[in-house]
Amino acid sequence: MKELLEYLARSLVTQPEQVRVEEQQRGQRVHLSLSVSKEDMGRIIGKNGRVVQAMRTLLRVAAEQEGKQVTFEIPEP
Amino acid sequence: MQNSVEVSAPTVEEAIQRGLELLATTPDQVEIEVLDSGSKGFLGFGSRQVRVRIKRLIASSEPLAASREAPGAPSPQPVAEVPLPDLAASPAEPLLAVRTRQVLQEILRLLHIENAQVEIRNVEEQQGHHIVQAEIHGQDLDILIGRRAETLQALQYLVSLIVGKEIEDWVHVVLDVEGYRQRREQQLRRLAARMAEQAIRTGRRQVLEPMPAAERRIIHLALRDHPDVTTQSIGEEPNRKVVIIPRR
Repeated sequence: MKELLEYLARSLVTQPEQVRVEEQQRGQRVHLSLSVSKEDMGRIIGKNGRVVQAMRTLLRVAAEQEGKQVTFEIPEP
Repeated sequence: MQNSVEVSAPTVEEAIQRGLELLATTPDQVEIEVLDSGSKGFLGFGSRQVRVRIKRLIASSEPLAASREAPGAPSPQPVAEVPLPDLAASPAEPLLAVRTRQVLQEILRLLHIENAQVEIRNVEEQQGHHIVQAEIHGQDLDILIGRRAETLQALQYLVSLIVGKEIEDWVHVVLDVEGYRQRREQQLRRLAARMAEQAIRTGRRQVLEPMPAAERRIIHLALRDHPDVTTQSIGEEPNRKVVIIPRR
C-alpha cells in the first residue's frame, strides 16, 4: 500500500524527491500519511479533492487484496 | 544520409515522432535533446512550441551489434530538460500507448493483481486532446470496477493525469475492464426504457440511483428523442442523479 501511494504521488507531482509516506500499522489497520512540497499540494489534492479521492479508492483496493483496512490523510504542512 | 534533425511541434512526443520519421529510424538508435520545452502560453497567446534535436547515434552503414559492443565507447546519455518517456520499449508503437500500458501495469502490480493483460486499443487526437483507449483483460477483475464503477473511474483518472503530466499535454485515458463499460451501457439503456415506461404509466417523475457523469449521459442520450418523457440531472456530485419526467 505504501509503495502504491509513493508511486502515485511521485508520478503526479513536480518535486517527486519531496514525497514522503509514513505508515503506521495497528493489527489489520494501516494508516498512511502523505506529505509533498507546498507547491505540489494542489496537484495531489485536485479540484474538489478529486485526486485524493481517486488515490484513496485505489488504496482501498490494495488494502482489500491484503485483507486489511486503510486510512489515508495529507496533514496540513 | 542526414544524421541529425531539429523539429518543432506542440508536444515533446510529437516532435520526437516527427523527427524519427524524418530520419527514418527508431527511438533506440538516436539521441534526443529537448532544446526548448515550450510554453503553453495564456489563452493561446504567447504559446511556444517544443523544440527537439534528434541525432543518429551510429552511422547507419555500421552494423548495430559491433557498435554496441565497442569497448570503452561512451554510452550516450540523452540530455533533457523534461523527463523523457521510455522510448526503447517498442519503437513501432506510439509513445502514448507504451506509457499508458507501462503505468497501468505498474499500478496493477502494486495492487497485487496478477495475470492481467493490458491492451491498448486505440490512440487518437480529437480537437487537440489525446485519447487513449485501453482495456484490462483477466480473471476476477471485479475488484478493479468497484461499486458504481468507482474504482474503474479512479484508475482511469489517475492514469490520465500521470501520462498527461509526462507528455505535458491533456490526455484522456478511456479504460475498460473485461468489456464492463459496454455491458453497463446496454444495462443503462434498458433501465432508461423501463423507467420511461413507468413514468408514463404512473404519470410521476422517476428518480434514478446516483450515477457518475458518463453514465447519466447514456441515460440522457437514450431518452433524448423520446416523445413522452424528458430527462434532467439533479443533486450534487457524487450523488447527482437522473430524473425522468413525463411530458404533459
